[in-house]
Amino acid sequence: MNNIALGRYLPLNTIINKMDPRSKILILLVMMITVFLPAGFIGYVPILIFIATALYFSKLKLTYALRALKPMIWMFIFLLVINVLVMRTGTLLISWGWFKVYSDAFSQTAYIIIRLTLMIILCTVLTATTKPLDLTLGIEKLLKPFEKIGLPAHVIAMMISIALRFIPTLIDETNRIMNAQASRGVDLENGTMTEKIRAVLSLIVPLFVSAFDRADQLADAMEARGYDPSATRTRYKVLKMTNVDYFAMAFALVVFATDLVLCWI
Amino acid sequence: MEAIELEHLSFSYDGQTDVLKDISLTIPKGSYTAIVGHNGSGKSTLAKLIIGLLEPKSGTIKVLGQTLTDHNLKAVRDHVGIVFQNPDNQFIGSTVADDIAFGLENHCVPTKDMQRIIEESAAKVSMSDYLNAEPTNLSGGQKQRVAIAGILAMSPEIIIFDESTSMLDPQGKASVNEQIRKLNEAKNITILSITHDMEEAAQASNVVVLDQGTIAAIGTPADVFQNDALMSRLRLDLPFGLKAAKAFQAHGIEIDAVMNNAQLVEALCQLK
Repeated sequence: MNNIALGRYLPLNTIINKMDPRSKILILLVMMITVFLPAGFIGYVPILIFIATALYFSKLKLTYALRALKPMIWMFIFLLVINVLVMRTGTLLISWGWFKVYSDAFSQTAYIIIRLTLMIILCTVLTATTKPLDLTLGIEKLLKPFEKIGLPAHVIAMMISIALRFIPTLIDETNRIMNAQASRGVDLENGTMTEKIRAVLSLIVPLFVSAFDRADQLADAMEARGYDPSATRTRYKVLKMTNVDYFAMAFALVVFATDLVLCWI
Repeated sequence: MEAIELEHLSFSYDGQTDVLKDISLTIPKGSYTAIVGHNGSGKSTLAKLIIGLLEPKSGTIKVLGQTLTDHNLKAVRDHVGIVFQNPDNQFIGSTVADDIAFGLENHCVPTKDMQRIIEESAAKVSMSDYLNAEPTNLSGGQKQRVAIAGILAMSPEIIIFDESTSMLDPQGKASVNEQIRKLNEAKNITILSITHDMEEAAQASNVVVLDQGTIAAIGTPADVFQNDALMSRLRLDLPFGLKAAKAFQAHGIEIDAVMNNAQLVEALCQLK
């Protein structure tokens, strides 16, 4: 229950950990767009250079970043099968009666796999080097300009940070309820499908009841401490960009520009 | 001017049965008042009414001379802090420092002053070493001390404790009770403590006993706890010191009716 892969923060105290979350989020956005530019396989070289630099400075192991890919292997195989059956462009490789395999089936699958892999590595670097709360603060500051058109940036950030804050509390609660129900004879592991669903219900209903109860008490506590979502608030944590941030953003833009040029050649 | 004045206060959750019936109560500034009573006697409801989380059915609530209305609610809350029962459900920030900062942020304290206030408040509850700790790594007692620090940061005049120690282990209970007494003595903060813990009630300057929405008794701990008829009617537990003293008296040993363990030890040492 404790190894939920939420992109865990690793307190490694590297140069990338200390970067401003705003610049890290912006860089991720730019790199995501770059990954999806149709620049051919050569276009991934600048991105790989960028990722290698990011991994080097964040002291993350490539295997750590790739771990998140494991559950996706079946999806990749499925994609390949579909592409082999459907793709009708490129050079004809195999032709057994009605069964024809074209080269594009493999290149298209390769594109998708490479893109997803790159995206996952980029996201892992972000979440592993940025505390959830800093990430929230970064999102809030980046959404600030949209407040003029009625987007409640601060409220969104507050909701995310409270949700993150309560994940461990609710995991504890789930374990407690599981033990309580198990001691009353509920079997969560064995039995037919209907029995299992019934067993899970006995877990979910009390969990929801207690979550609502907590939400109620939390709202009281927040109100008693003077919280008003519509009022202006000062902030304890202030974000500040340094030269590292500017350099990293420039690097990302260079990679983006290179791939954009590669699209035209 | 009194800290809290309640006049003919009634409250009902469903509009039919009154949880609080015509309560009138005055809590002087700088006093330490404990409210005791069984579950469902209306203790916690009273706390929520004073801080304006609930609206009374009838009667008035005056906090520091101001009658509570929708308009001055926020202004009044600047002076009143409340520590609730469940340590987890009032921890809003992701770290101790963030949680203490939450109230400061709401009150628009300038960012440059925050770090100093946070450090001072954490020091007052001996949590200075835990400023970057996350709530999952803290004990219940530590979380409640952080909650107190969050309130102290806003330098309130009144602090309400709503069964703040009932979910803590004995050690956490003792540390929070010690904290409450220190605040009352050193900083002259008015304390209103709603509690099941008779040891804690015994350290208060005043005790109010609530029974089924009405005030059953009010007075010093000595007055209230030595009212044998009342105590046995409401089946309230006595503080250990008093229980022991009564047991000694029953055996013909002459000893003063003491309220807490320290007094008991002293009285026993002076026995001839």
